[in-house]
Amino acid sequence: MATVKQTYIFESGNELAAHAAKQINYHIMGYYPITPSTQVAEMLDSLKAQGKHQIDLIPAEGEHSAAGICYGASVGGGRVFNATSANGLLYALEQLPVQSGTRFPVVMNVACRTVSGPLDIKGDHSDIMYALNTGWLILFASSPQEVYDFNICAIKIAEAVHLPIIIAYDGFFTSHQKRRCEVFKNDEDVRNFIGEYTAPFSALEPDKPITIGSYMNEPDLMINKYQLHIAMEKSRKVAREVFEEFGELTDRYYSAAEGYMHEDADILLVILGSAYHTAKQAVDEYRNQGKKCGAVTLHSLRPFPSKEIVELCKNAKTVVIADRQDSYGAGGGNLSLEVKAALLTAGVMPKTITRIYGLGGQDFFLEDAKTLLGCGIEDTTDHFDYYPKVAGEKNEIRPFFEPISEQEASPGVISVEEDEGKFKVKGATINQTLKIPKRLAPGHGACPGCGIPVNVNLLLRGIEGNVVLLFQTGCGMVVTTPYPQTAFKVTYVHNLFQNGAATLSGLVRMYRSKQQRGELPEGEITFIMISGDGGMDIGMGSALGTAIRGENLIIMEYDNGGYMNTGYQLSYSTPKGAKSATSHLGENQYGKSFFHKDTPQIMAAANIPYVATVAESNPQDFIRKAAKAQMYARNYGTVYLKALSACPLNWADKPQNERSVIAAAVDSCYFPLYEIERGKTALNYNPEDSNKKIPIIDFLSLMGRTKHLKNEKYADVVREIQKETDRRFKRLKAMAENPLL
Amino acid sequence: MVKLPILNDMGYYEMRLESIGGFGANLCGKLLGEIGAMSLGLNAAAFSSYGSEKRGSPVKSFIRFCEADRELRINSPVEEPHLLALFHDRMVHNSSAVKGINENTTVIINTADKDISLYCKRLFTIDCEKIAMETKSRINMIMLGAIIKASGFIPLATAEDMVLKTLGKKYPDVLKQNLDGLREGFSKIVEKIPSENGQKLEDTGKVKRVFWGYKTAPAGGVNYLIGSTAANDLSASREGYFPLFHPEKCIHCGLCDTTCPDMVFRFEEGEYKGRKVMKNQGLDYHYCKGCLRCVKVCPTAALTAEIERDFKKKPHFIRTKGLIAEEIDYKAEGSSGYVTSEAYLDEQRVDGGLL
Repeated sequence: MATVKQTYIFESGNELAAHAAKQINYHIMGYYPITPSTQVAEMLDSLKAQGKHQIDLIPAEGEHSAAGICYGASVGGGRVFNATSANGLLYALEQLPVQSGTRFPVVMNVACRTVSGPLDIKGDHSDIMYALNTGWLILFASSPQEVYDFNICAIKIAEAVHLPIIIAYDGFFTSHQKRRCEVFKNDEDVRNFIGEYTAPFSALEPDKPITIGSYMNEPDLMINKYQLHIAMEKSRKVAREVFEEFGELTDRYYSAAEGYMHEDADILLVILGSAYHTAKQAVDEYRNQGKKCGAVTLHSLRPFPSKEIVELCKNAKTVVIADRQDSYGAGGGNLSLEVKAALLTAGVMPKTITRIYGLGGQDFFLEDAKTLLGCGIEDTTDHFDYYPKVAGEKNEIRPFFEPISEQEASPGVISVEEDEGKFKVKGATINQTLKIPKRLAPGHGACPGCGIPVNVNLLLRGIEGNVVLLFQTGCGMVVTTPYPQTAFKVTYVHNLFQNGAATLSGLVRMYRSKQQRGELPEGEITFIMISGDGGMDIGMGSALGTAIRGENLIIMEYDNGGYMNTGYQLSYSTPKGAKSATSHLGENQYGKSFFHKDTPQIMAAANIPYVATVAESNPQDFIRKAAKAQMYARNYGTVYLKALSACPLNWADKPQNERSVIAAAVDSCYFPLYEIERGKTALNYNPEDSNKKIPIIDFLSLMGRTKHLKNEKYADVVREIQKETDRRFKRLKAMAENPLL
Repeated sequence: MVKLPILNDMGYYEMRLESIGGFGANLCGKLLGEIGAMSLGLNAAAFSSYGSEKRGSPVKSFIRFCEADRELRINSPVEEPHLLALFHDRMVHNSSAVKGINENTTVIINTADKDISLYCKRLFTIDCEKIAMETKSRINMIMLGAIIKASGFIPLATAEDMVLKTLGKKYPDVLKQNLDGLREGFSKIVEKIPSENGQKLEDTGKVKRVFWGYKTAPAGGVNYLIGSTAANDLSASREGYFPLFHPEKCIHCGLCDTTCPDMVFRFEEGEYKGRKVMKNQGLDYHYCKGCLRCVKVCPTAALTAEIERDFKKKPHFIRTKGLIAEEIDYKAEGSSGYVTSEAYLDEQRVDGGLL
């Protein structure tokens, strides 16, 4: 019986992590949305809007910065929280040893997901195994209940040994599956259990000045790492005590590793995460057939529970180790390697078999668990293999389209001529540019009314000849290339969110290099990087670097004002006041709290030859700017175009109205149409000239995400947005009037 | 604790909801799970097919129940449901949606088709669209009512309480509509006689999927099948309306093509009023998701929004330009659909969005 009052809730692993965080009431959460861990921040934001906790939630512009925010907060001696997955963890990885090496505890949840590429958002353990060498404690939860319980225990363990800690769990299988779970009824009971934290060092006590992060030579570094090792070892005992104390309060007891029917088992399956429960079912079925099987799982990866594993496995004749990840070329995933090392060190020598399974979110059915145990029962001689592995069929695949020839792509309907230092586009009419074949095929999976293909098509209608496209991660990429299909009829490359511009730079330079060496013929390809869904937040550094180097390419941002591919969290270009999954509306919040990012002006500050804003509501202007962009990218350097791009799903408006919504953004001067050609600004359309200017609220009230601002109680917020919009527009007008600005 | 009417070998009662992104099946599944866990004293799990959420793409939702003291050990999708709910009658023809129906399965189909039939234990239909129009409720609430009725073990009052508790607090304005939908779904469900034989369903959307294995797939996931999404038939994304083309009114301005996200229009060189122009030849409705952007921008009403049910055959249905594959076995669904995020999706969308 639990001695402290518990209650049932029906929530997913992510929600339970958030629930625990709310009960702990951390000081700070620094985060960046990445599937499948995003819900943790979403849920906390929702609770914050309702006034249920005081955690300061800080949306970073990437996981590296999120980890930085957490580090900075932790050196202030408070309680700090984070959640991430997959490449997010890897992007932050460099910060992880900083956190542990300087010994400031934080708690991070990792909803495990396969590491790209190719990009796959579903679960396996390839991300978490990268964290093994970072000096962080790592707990692994196999169920939503454990996610909650380990979150409560983790902070207590971490603070006792002054090390950061990860709670890992299966992406989707555990992060998204709702289960009936027990939680502490009263938040005070959680806080009583974890106790007060008094940091031994803090950067916020001016009367006790300290230096954090010394420059260190040998042998000091060796000493520092040995101290870390001692702390890691000490955590074994601490964790045992914390789990014991937790069990007394809740009647839910845990250990670093656990077994099921292992005592007399001849064959054991060692398996991590949610699959362990399926394995137990398989064990029962084999036991019914008289086969002596058992299953083992680990709740702690760091420190690695070697003694416990040896104890659990010592009677087995065969140990099958299932890895949801591979350390390619090592003969097993990290779980296999470490289990085998533990057994060998202890002189326990069962036969071991490794199977790599369930990569990229492949479902794990009962039959699969039986097959894995079956490897031990059948006494296979293959010590290492993948399961399942599919050889595939040799089927003749006929093409859907012929490649678009350069000639076909160049019907000669556009010309760009220089006129007094400025370029003028001739032709490029809406009707005649229909002669240029579409570089995208239909049948892609974008939502009805999505603005992304509209903007990509309009851009490509201003560009004759060969094109190579690069998309950063985002909806535009996800919906067009669902393997084994692709919507692209021209060559397309994907790279992750933060690195598209750099990647395309490399490709452009390879093209030039090969041409210079005579390995490719003379000719032209227009290289275009497409980014959206907040890609100009995390990818800003790469885009600016590319711009400053003046690479010959076009960057087009489809600005849909949020991280739509992960379910609409705020991005820096989300309008102030907009609701999103990380800027909920509630008693304590009115939506996003800061202004939208003025990306064209940032890119213009890199002094690139051409910056322009485009809108589908002015398609002729759009196509002509695309033509100019091609000319500038070929001959002068980097071009940046920004299109406001509709997202009916998350803007919460009707798909058929999107063009009018975009027009209202232009007419309210929220999204003014202008271009900066070699430093000179020109307004392409001033709604004031034709008496079409509308107040900002007339634009914002067209979208469900900002409609609430019409309410009188948000009048101050609207006034602020109007003021900032007017200021930015006045500045633009001044720039247009003065060639030096 | 309520007694579950039927259990599989592991002691679980399992449900599967087959739907299209935007109908709210995810929320419906979550409510069912919550009813089981919080009101009926059962152990419960609820989850959906995973990925990034897009309107119009297929979504599956799974619910597992067992006695409170039994462990739920299985995390994988429900293969042989005791109760299967099809949120759209098109799904009757989708092999993945009707997979695993057997002599123990109760099936509920949202349809106005009185003659619909398939092999199962018990078959129910409900005309959600009609009820939705009458009650201003949403498909998921009506289906929830129908599902609990067909299940035979979930009392209406329990579901009403749950809707009151979970949705009532968040969206008091639409609570009445939600409750009306739930009750109407519960009472308006019609039992049909299932087909007698376990005949295999015609899979009209034949899927001839490219299938690459480790011996045949190009290394690194490189894909040379350019434009291969053209094999998808996205008609299921349309929600009742489609754009009808009236060529006699068309001035071939091309604005429809500038607003269509789905490359539905086909233009070819031709003559209009004595001038050489690109002329609108028609639409490839395989790819039209019914967003009606084109109807809105057309300056001459050459495109109008029409009710799809009224047109057995669509005039000016033309194949997309440049398609050289002679025969395509169109795949009757969008790209994989799924859910990554719930916090925001659970919110009521103001105009034409999701609940």
